[in-house]
Amino acid sequence: MSEPVSGCQAPVDGRHPMTEISATVNGRKVTRSVPNHYRLIDFVREELKLTGNKEGCGAGECGTCSMFVDGKLVKSCLTPVQKIQGATVETVDDLDRDQGMTVLQRAFHKCGASQCGYCIPGMVMAATSTLRRNPAAGLDEIKEGLGGNICRCTGYQKILDAVQLARDVLNGSRPESALDEDAGTSFIGHSTRRLDAPGKVTGAIKYAADLWMANMLHLQVLRSPHPHARIVRIDASKARRLPGVECVLTCDDVPGVDNFGVFIEDQPIMARGVVRYVGEAVAAVAAETVDIARAAVKLIEIHYEVLPGLFDPEEAMRPGAVQLHAHAADNICKHTRIRKGDVDAALAAADLVVEETYRTAPIEHAYLEPEAGLAYVEADGCVAVHSPSQNITHHRHMLAKILGRPINKVRMIMSTVGGGFGGKEDMIYQGMLALAAIKTRRPVRYVFTREESFIASAKRHPFTIRYTMGLQRDGRITATRMVMVSDGGAYAMSTPGVMNKSAILGPGPYAVPNVWVDAIGVYTNNTPSGAMRAFGAFQSEFATEAHLDLCAQRLGMDPVALRMVNLMRDGATTHTRQQLDRVLAVDCLQAAVAAAGWDAGVPHRQGLGQAPRSDLGGTGTRAPCTLGARLAPMAAAEPAAATVPAK
Amino acid sequence: MKHRGRGVACGWYGIARTAAMDRAAVWVELDDGGTVKIATGVTEIGEGILTGLCQIAAQEMGVRPEDIVLGDNDTARVPEAAHAGATRMTYMIGNAVAIGCREAFGKFRDAMGAYWGVAPGSIHAFAGDVWVEGSPTKRMSMGHAVHVLKKERGIVIVGSGLFTSQHTPLHPETGEATPWQSYVFGAQVAEVEVDDDTGEVQVLGVWAAHDVGRVVNPQQVEGQIEGGVVMAVGHALMEDYIQHAGQTTTPGFAKYILPTALDVPQVTSVLIDEPDPKTPLGVKGIGEPAITPTAPAIINAIYDAVGVRITQLPATPERVMSALQEKRVREAAPIDATRVTAQEEIPMGPP
Repeated sequence: MSEPVSGCQAPVDGRHPMTEISATVNGRKVTRSVPNHYRLIDFVREELKLTGNKEGCGAGECGTCSMFVDGKLVKSCLTPVQKIQGATVETVDDLDRDQGMTVLQRAFHKCGASQCGYCIPGMVMAATSTLRRNPAAGLDEIKEGLGGNICRCTGYQKILDAVQLARDVLNGSRPESALDEDAGTSFIGHSTRRLDAPGKVTGAIKYAADLWMANMLHLQVLRSPHPHARIVRIDASKARRLPGVECVLTCDDVPGVDNFGVFIEDQPIMARGVVRYVGEAVAAVAAETVDIARAAVKLIEIHYEVLPGLFDPEEAMRPGAVQLHAHAADNICKHTRIRKGDVDAALAAADLVVEETYRTAPIEHAYLEPEAGLAYVEADGCVAVHSPSQNITHHRHMLAKILGRPINKVRMIMSTVGGGFGGKEDMIYQGMLALAAIKTRRPVRYVFTREESFIASAKRHPFTIRYTMGLQRDGRITATRMVMVSDGGAYAMSTPGVMNKSAILGPGPYAVPNVWVDAIGVYTNNTPSGAMRAFGAFQSEFATEAHLDLCAQRLGMDPVALRMVNLMRDGATTHTRQQLDRVLAVDCLQAAVAAAGWDAGVPHRQGLGQAPRSDLGGTGTRAPCTLGARLAPMAAAEPAAATVPAK
Repeated sequence: MKHRGRGVACGWYGIARTAAMDRAAVWVELDDGGTVKIATGVTEIGEGILTGLCQIAAQEMGVRPEDIVLGDNDTARVPEAAHAGATRMTYMIGNAVAIGCREAFGKFRDAMGAYWGVAPGSIHAFAGDVWVEGSPTKRMSMGHAVHVLKKERGIVIVGSGLFTSQHTPLHPETGEATPWQSYVFGAQVAEVEVDDDTGEVQVLGVWAAHDVGRVVNPQQVEGQIEGGVVMAVGHALMEDYIQHAGQTTTPGFAKYILPTALDVPQVTSVLIDEPDPKTPLGVKGIGEPAITPTAPAIINAIYDAVGVRITQLPATPERVMSALQEKRVREAAPIDATRVTAQEEIPMGPP
């Protein structure tokens, strides 16, 4: 649930005036009294418990909350509940009441169009809208129809395949049997339809924010507005007195050893004496409603003494810089070294030495499901936490220590994960939930807003990579030196592991006799960096592959040929001196080049007065995007075979 | 004016936990009706592992994927399978499921061999049918076989599986180690169109070849590659979490820009499906490796198209325009031998 829009001031006690709404929802007439700041998404999810459509951003940007109001597609997070008075609403929960799934939903199932599934209800609604408007919609029109919907998992291709398949089945150009499972003689190696897809395309599957228990409380968290400050005093007395508040938690309520982390346990579940980044949890409130919990959070008074902050890892390593953690001299969280051969001698002897510096950005995981969880205490005293945790075993371990109870009195249950990409490996809220459930002896649920998810969760580490490579005239790499400095942010999270992986893999799948790598992860007062898909290797391999293209340019070589000279072969020794057996690196490069129909030559050859490359715009490319397909006169659908080549 | 270009990049990746012992365990029960219960400690984060594990269990137990019940991802009910990440799900848990099912199916063969009076090795099962090789009469459904074993023989078929991947920590000074047992390799080619009036880059095609080990579900492997490529298109061209003195200025999707259906290239996936000889099942993984070559392939393609090297991600229209502007100024200036930069050095020429 988002904050009430500005201009309508939230009541200080969190109790909003009620408004009575009558509407027809999924064919049933309903009349309910709800707080007058409710949006359509709140009415449907919180009041009617129709949880098929999700809330992804609360700002109309992601589209997963898309529903029909009087047949028109709307973003229900932007629709005040008063707008549906007397209207007809359709949600994804009941799109086909007789069969359970519409042709479009069956096509999503067949094509593998759902992965985590969190965006899929909105995708299904938006595509339904497009095909209702134009049953012959072409690919460009379908893409435009989905242009207001974000998916972080699928890359959209299989969603587009599914919408085109549904269109063709609906207009009779492909038989309905095209939606059935293909027959196979083996289960391994077969494109078996995803077993979880029916639940995801209909919205039936429950994510943590969809869970609801009788007598459930709602948690809200007070977060630091400062990147670095000492907490002088916390006064929660006004918040505790607010009717409807069941508990206010701070670090003083934590009974056990209060720290967590994937590699280094350096973070308390709520700030202990000092805050180290904007968005760090400081206190938590459990109350009867989200509105009351929010109102109580505003009544907590924190007195901070603002401290100087460190925002640049190079500065943080300088002598005399503020020390952010007692265990980390010079604010260095992790320094990984790879040393093989004699890099200096090899660079001195090289025909060509190429230097460049590469930088990558901090990246938000942007899973469509914001963090959420539900905790309760079972009859035997075991505290259970449902959350989309990517590491229930380790979280159970740490939570037992933090709560000061035996491991078998802590139970972690991994709810359906609406996208993770590494961002849900950090136990940034489960501790507060468990503690609130123990204190109140009631179920407690906590759902992040998108903004909270952005500021409180880890990012992909930004890297600065100083690269020096020595090569022979024939393209053979003789030495690689990579010095990488990375902003780890306020807490370690996965920084040690990310430094290791970036260093081990950084010089790439190439046989290089002399290697020097430094990967240094540094504490600062920025948002913590943590695990994210390809975990440091995305950054370090980016530098190597961009650098090789620069080297190909300098050598006047085809960049494929340069790689072929250097790629590891069977029996290669890695940069960490591990002997490999089978190495399929060459097979991959040859396969990619063959599929693309690569025209060999030096990069940007036209700039050197050579004939331009001849391989552009062929099979495997799409047309450049030009907007306005849905405004064009309705044309017959393009045949599917022309738009989606069979693979 | 619009210019097209192509770039290439390779990649490699280690499978499962880095430089640390990795392990996953499962329990298996051949259940009533010829169904199979599998309990293991971790589940789906969207990649399709539940379906993949059901396919593996179905193949190993002689039933269908829809006959499998996967036990909860619940620390109080299932054995440890460690975390959901590190491209380890199919590799670690897939192998553990295969090992557990092979133990259970071995017991099933022994029991049915005794029941029918035949050698255990002559008993086969597929898609819920059980039969003795070469016998026209000795065959029944898996459901009936389970009934017979339970009611007439008092036997419940159970198994367990443990898969361990031996990884060693890095030497603190030299980094010497065996950080992983299995590696995957990959290569991608990207084609882009660069508008030199606006700096806008569109990625029109990506050809991705990845060595993924034995393929369990080709559609899902493609799904991982397509999703990885598009995530990397975002990283390469638009995504940037910006902070000023620790305060973010990109706190939501209005400011933090992600690829939509209109931004995505056509992706052509080529799966190199040679089984990994080091594990029972021969599977490896693809979740993370798919993302590594895409961004450099795009950046290299931008150079190929318009002759500017972007060294800082993301290659936003502003950064591309500024690089193009520098190039124009440089090309218009008289040649000054004391000011040679990376961009204008003369190629060495082939050997």
